[in-house]
Amino acid sequence: MMASRSLPFLLFVLLGLLVANLMFGAVSIPFNQMLEGFQSGNEHYFTLHEYRLPRTILAMLVGAMMALAGALVQGVIRNPLASPDVLGVSHGAGLAAVIYMTFFPTADVRWLPEVALIGSFIAAITLWWLCGQHSSTIKLAITGVALAALYASSVDFLMLVKPLEINNALLWLTGSLWGRGWSQLSMLLPWLLLVPAALGLAKPLNLIHLGDDSAISLGIKANKLRLVALAVAVGLTASCVAICGPIGFLGLVAPHLTRKLVGGRHQILLPSTMLVGAVLLLLADLVARTIDPPIELPAGIMTAIIGAPYFLWLLLRTK
Amino acid sequence: MIPMRLAFFAQCTVLLLALFACSLVSLISWSAIPISAMDAVQALYNMNNDSIAQHIVHDLRLPRVLIGIMVGANLAAAGVIMQALTQNPLASPSVLGINAGAALGMALVSTIAPWFGLLGTSFAAIIGGGTAWALVMLLGSAWRGGNEHGRLVLAGVAISALCAALTKAVIIMEEDQASGVLTWLAGSLSDARWQTFDAFWPFCVAGLLGAILMAPTLNLLQLGDDNARNLGVSLMWIKLGGSFLVLLLVGSAISSVGAIGFVGLLIPHMARILIGQDHRKFLPVAMLLGACLVVLSDTLSRAIIYPAETPAGAILALIGAPFFIYLVRKRTL
Repeated sequence: MMASRSLPFLLFVLLGLLVANLMFGAVSIPFNQMLEGFQSGNEHYFTLHEYRLPRTILAMLVGAMMALAGALVQGVIRNPLASPDVLGVSHGAGLAAVIYMTFFPTADVRWLPEVALIGSFIAAITLWWLCGQHSSTIKLAITGVALAALYASSVDFLMLVKPLEINNALLWLTGSLWGRGWSQLSMLLPWLLLVPAALGLAKPLNLIHLGDDSAISLGIKANKLRLVALAVAVGLTASCVAICGPIGFLGLVAPHLTRKLVGGRHQILLPSTMLVGAVLLLLADLVARTIDPPIELPAGIMTAIIGAPYFLWLLLRTK
Repeated sequence: MIPMRLAFFAQCTVLLLALFACSLVSLISWSAIPISAMDAVQALYNMNNDSIAQHIVHDLRLPRVLIGIMVGANLAAAGVIMQALTQNPLASPSVLGINAGAALGMALVSTIAPWFGLLGTSFAAIIGGGTAWALVMLLGSAWRGGNEHGRLVLAGVAISALCAALTKAVIIMEEDQASGVLTWLAGSLSDARWQTFDAFWPFCVAGLLGAILMAPTLNLLQLGDDNARNLGVSLMWIKLGGSFLVLLLVGSAISSVGAIGFVGLLIPHMARILIGQDHRKFLPVAMLLGACLVVLSDTLSRAIIYPAETPAGAILALIGAPFFIYLVRKRTL
């Protein structure tokens, strides 16, 4: 019943942000000119069609996918402080991408999502191996944070040691949507197949919340479900990080906000969290682009400024 | 008792010799112009001719080594005090947000009000670091002396992330002043000159002396808050005084060379393995070890992609982060 009011509201906000993202930037385009601008030959056609439209779509997709990954991880390991970026999975993907680009400067960037996927799987397995299956909430989060620090400092180190090869990698890994266009969007599209897979896990994820024993007696293979859900989450994160860099705290914050709005049933939670994630990243990118034009801030900075205090608040409430 | 004391002095002597050797290597190696050991030693006390090698040693290398020694000693002492105050083996300036807060203070002052100069930025670093530390202690509920070690660390990490994001935003928005702040943020000794040394050493000496004077009190803290209170220790004053010392040590160190991390986390554990728990002994040893580590990694930072330089902070992070993971793993949280 809560969802019936929240979902239209979210859709409305998303639509408003979509229009705002197309209208505002270094040059503002009034609404009616913006509508005409999509016909080829119009003076704004190039700005709108080559820059703002692909970037806006990309922000929506990345926001939605990262939020979905966060919801899956939180749903599976029942840990409020968990998300792919807190657990170091995003930074693992980023490190793999930077290694690929520094050591194989002539290699094709088309393979970047796959390389990032390998990196984030290694990061996830490392975390699993370090923590074991039954660790406390806080230990898991600290180990993840420590691993993320290790990956981030390795990235910094590589960037300092190989400054020439790194310009290309920097463009990819600042946690920003700057300079992303249709070609990056087309790289992301195949990975959208993971979204229906994730949504299909909604029902078993509800059952797993009853506790492992009840889930097993209802015919759910709890461990197998966990592995599948985590693998899907890692895939979603890796493909986003390969294109926009590690945008922090999005996967942590969006599922929490959504749970407040629509409650914990995964059939509703998962699609709504995608909406919330899209809204958050569109908003972050809009603010980052328009706060002081023509200078652009990386959207990842905006999400950290909102997300870090939220993380602290969650921490205070975690028993 | 006597052999124990002898062993302690022997260890200190060995460490001093090691520090001396590190410093000498740092003075003469990886230079664009060959420097002989003779030239280096002569440049220390007088410059009998105008050879470029001696100028390099005297004007560039010597202040760099001295500042490296002081920074290492400062950060190690700060780490020891923080671990004693919080009773948390993971506490250190970089983990608990002081580095990031100080960096934010520096970035704000040097971009928005650059006319304040060196002294102004030092104070900004101390104030920024102090604010971050106070926030972390409050949010991590460390003042109440609970044993929630993990919470403190996560609060520190979140405050660090927030400060780092704000720092980046400031730098990007005020691009004119940015390049100086950026090199500073990476934590490098390459810009260390006599001018920095002159501004730095009074704070350093005061901070280190204060730390040594505080060592016996830190021993009492190890008995636990209740026992310490029963022995007549005023916990509030110790914690306030200790926090002030930490800020003095860390603020002066990182306002002179930048946000060098992980020395304060790594060194106290190494010193404790060597010496044991008595702060009167292991604090001086930690200072010596810290000095060695920073001078060594500064030398490495010149060697690794010679003739270009890698900031020493990056090298220390590469060594420190795995150690952090090891510490987390070893403890049962």
